[in-house]
Amino acid sequence: MGDLLDRDLISNLPQSIIESILTRLPIRDAIRTSCLSTKWRYKWTTLTHLAFDEKCVTLSNDRTLVERSLIDFITRALFLHQGPVHKFQLSTSYLQSCPDIDQWILFLSRNDIKELVLELGEGEWFRVPSCLFYCKKLTRLELFRCELDPPPAFKGFLCLKSLNLHQVLVAPDAIESLISGCPLLESLALSYFDSLALNIRAPNLKYLCLEGEFKDICLENTPLLVAISVAMYVTDDIAEHFEQSSNCNFIKFLGGIPRLERLVGHIYFTKYLSIGNDQGILPITYNHLKIIELYQVSFEDMKEILVVLRLITNSPNLQELQISGSSNTLAAIEASDLDFWEKQCPSDCAFGRLKVVKMTDMSGVPHEMEFIKFLLKKSPVLETMSITPYAYVLDGRLNMLIELVSFKRASPEAEILFIQD
Amino acid sequence: MSEGVMAVVKPEMKSYIWLQTADGSIQQVEEEVAMFCPMICREILQTGMGSSKNYAISLPQRVNPAILGLILDYCRFHQVPGRSNKERKTFDEKFIRMDTKKLCELTSAADSLQLKPLVDLTSRALARIIEGKTPEEIRETFHLPDDLTEEEKLEPLRNITDDPRIRLLNRLYARKRKELKEREKLKNVEVEEERVDERSVDDLLTFINGGSGESKGVKTNKNKKKNRRRKDHPKDSSTSVNGSHNKDLDALSSDYHDGDIINVESPSPSSSKLLDSTSVTFSPKLEFDDCDIDDDLDPAMKEELDREVEDFARRLNSDWPERMQEILSLGQERKLAPININGNGSAHRYTSLDRR
Repeated sequence: MGDLLDRDLISNLPQSIIESILTRLPIRDAIRTSCLSTKWRYKWTTLTHLAFDEKCVTLSNDRTLVERSLIDFITRALFLHQGPVHKFQLSTSYLQSCPDIDQWILFLSRNDIKELVLELGEGEWFRVPSCLFYCKKLTRLELFRCELDPPPAFKGFLCLKSLNLHQVLVAPDAIESLISGCPLLESLALSYFDSLALNIRAPNLKYLCLEGEFKDICLENTPLLVAISVAMYVTDDIAEHFEQSSNCNFIKFLGGIPRLERLVGHIYFTKYLSIGNDQGILPITYNHLKIIELYQVSFEDMKEILVVLRLITNSPNLQELQISGSSNTLAAIEASDLDFWEKQCPSDCAFGRLKVVKMTDMSGVPHEMEFIKFLLKKSPVLETMSITPYAYVLDGRLNMLIELVSFKRASPEAEILFIQD
Repeated sequence: MSEGVMAVVKPEMKSYIWLQTADGSIQQVEEEVAMFCPMICREILQTGMGSSKNYAISLPQRVNPAILGLILDYCRFHQVPGRSNKERKTFDEKFIRMDTKKLCELTSAADSLQLKPLVDLTSRALARIIEGKTPEEIRETFHLPDDLTEEEKLEPLRNITDDPRIRLLNRLYARKRKELKEREKLKNVEVEEERVDERSVDDLLTFINGGSGESKGVKTNKNKKKNRRRKDHPKDSSTSVNGSHNKDLDALSSDYHDGDIINVESPSPSSSKLLDSTSVTFSPKLEFDDCDIDDDLDPAMKEELDREVEDFARRLNSDWPERMQEILSLGQERKLAPININGNGSAHRYTSLDRR
C-alpha cells in the first residue's frame, strides 16, 4: 500500500489543477472519478463549472425516459455538490418546461452563480422563475427558448457583462429596462425577436449582435461600442413602417458610436440605414473603423449606395471592405447617374489604408462596376480586389471582365481576382 | 531592463540566468527564455538573484532538472513574439506527447512556476487521457490505489434485458454487502462509527460507476432506501410486483435486523441458527433484488460487468446453499484468510478486503 502511494502519479497534484482537469472532462466522466480511490471520492464535488447535456445519460428512443434520467442525474449532482457554483450550463433539446429546472435555478441562486446558460428544446418554452432575478452576482446570462418576466421590483443585474437572448419571449419595455439596468453590460446579443422596437442605453456596451425582425433600433447611449453585427429581416408590416418613417436611421443607429471598429450588416440592414433624410455631410468620423461587411446591398437603390459611400468616406482608417450585391439583373440594364460616385465623394478623398476588398454576388450591374472602378482609383495601397460573380449570372461575366481590365488602378500592388466556381 | 541585475556583460553577449533545482544542480538559460516564467521573472526583479552561478535562483521542489529542461524548451518556443497561432498550436500538440508520469510531473512543475499556459495545456492533455476510460483503466494509467471498500463500490446494476447473469451478480453483491456489514460490526466500534458517517453520504453517491447516470446505489440504509425507491418506481410493468414486495419487505426488514442483532450480541452463534434465519429471509430478498433492476445498462458498464460476471461465474461452480454456508461460516470465524472455494479468482475478493 505504501509503495502504491509513492507511485500514485496524480492524486497529490494541487486541487486547482485537479479541478482544471475535471472541468475539461464531460461532467459524467468527472463524476465517475469518485469511484477511483478514496482520495478521489469527493474531488469532483467542488467543481465550480458544471455543464450538462443529454450526453450525461444513456440515450434511447424513449424521450420521456431520457428526460427523466437527465433530470435525476442533474438533481443528484447538484445535491452532492459542495461549495459555490460559478458557471452552470444546460444545453439539451430533451428538456423543455419542467418544474425541476426551477429548483435548480433556486439552488444556483443560493450558490453564487455567475454564469448561467440555459439552452432548452423546442416545445413549451420554459418560464424563468423569479429567483433568477435575485442572482446578484450574475455576470453572464444566456437563454434560449425561454419566457422572461422580470418582477416589477427588479432593477437590473448590477454585475452583468454579457447578455444573450435567443428566441426569448419578453415584453419590449422589459428588455429595454433590463438593458439599461445593467450598467456594466459589455456584450449584448438579441436574436429572433418579432417586431422589436428598441432603444439601447448601455454606456459600457462594446459588442452588439442583433438578429431578427426589428422595427426600429436606436442606439441612444452606446459610446463605447466597438463591434456591431446586425441581421435584419423584414416582414410586410415592417416594410410599411419603413416607408412612413422620417427619421434618419443612419444617424439614429450609427450616429453615436465613434469608437466603432467593425461593422457587419446582413439582409435589410443597408436598406434600413438608407431610410430617412440624408443630412448631407455626416457629422461623425469613424476613426477606428477597420472592417466593414455589408451583405445584400442593392446597387440599384441609389439611397443604399449612398449609405455605402457615406460609410466608407467617413472611415479614414478602413482596411477591409466586403460587400455582397443583390441586384435584379433584368431591371438594371438602364442606370442613371453613373458619375454618382465621383460627384458625391469629396474630391480629395482617398482610402489610404484600404488593403482588401471583396465583392461577392456581383451581377455586373452598372453601379456595381462603377463602384469597383471608383475603389480601384482611390485606393493607393490596395493589395487584393476579389470579385465573385453571382452564381446564376453566366452571360454577363465576360463583359464584366472586359470592363474590369480597363479600370485604372491607383495601387501598383493591386491584384484583381475574378473567382469562378 | 535587466542591466542593473547583470554583472559584467559584453554588449553583444546574450544575458543568462542561473537556475538551481532542488537537487542542487545548476543550469544557465537565456534571459528572455527564463523571463517567460512568471515566478522566475518575479524573483529576478524583486531579489536581483540569478545573475551568476553563486546567486542562482532556487526553483521549487517540484521542478527536477529533466522537467526543467522541458519547461525551458516550451518557454524558448513561445517567448518568440512573431509566431502565428497555428505554429504555436502545432508545437503544443507535439510537445505534449510524453508518457503519463512525465506529464503529471510537468503539470506539477508548471504550476509551481505559475506558468499558466503550460498548466492549461497539460491539464487538457490529462483530461484527454482520462476521458472515456473505465475506472480500472484510469487506475492503471495513474497507478491509483484501488482502496475504496468493496461496500463503497458495490451497488445493484441495472438489468433491462432481464439478463440472468446480472440478476446473479446483483444477488452476489447483496450477499457481499451483507457479509461486509456483519464483518464490520464484529470489528472495532470506532471504525464502525467512522463508517456510519460515510455511509449516509454513500447512499447519495448513487450514480457513480457509470450506471446510466442514475443507478440507485444502496448501501447500508439499504432497506429503508429500497422501500422508498420501491414506491417511486416508474416502470408500470413492475408496479404490481413492487406492491406485493413492499409488504414482504416491511416484514423482512424487521427479520433482517433481528438477524443482525443476534450476530452482534453473540459473536459466535451456531451457524445453524444463523443459517435458519437467513435462509428464511434470503429467498424473498433475492426476488427483491431482481425488481431493483430496471432501465438501461451503460455500455461502458457492460465491459466491466462481463469481466465481473466471468469472475463470479468461475466462483459459482458449487451449488448455492453450500456456497452460502461457506461464506457465512467465514463470517463467523472472523477470518479474512483467503480461502480457495472454487479455485481461480475467488481469493481475489478476500485479499482486497484484507487491505482495508
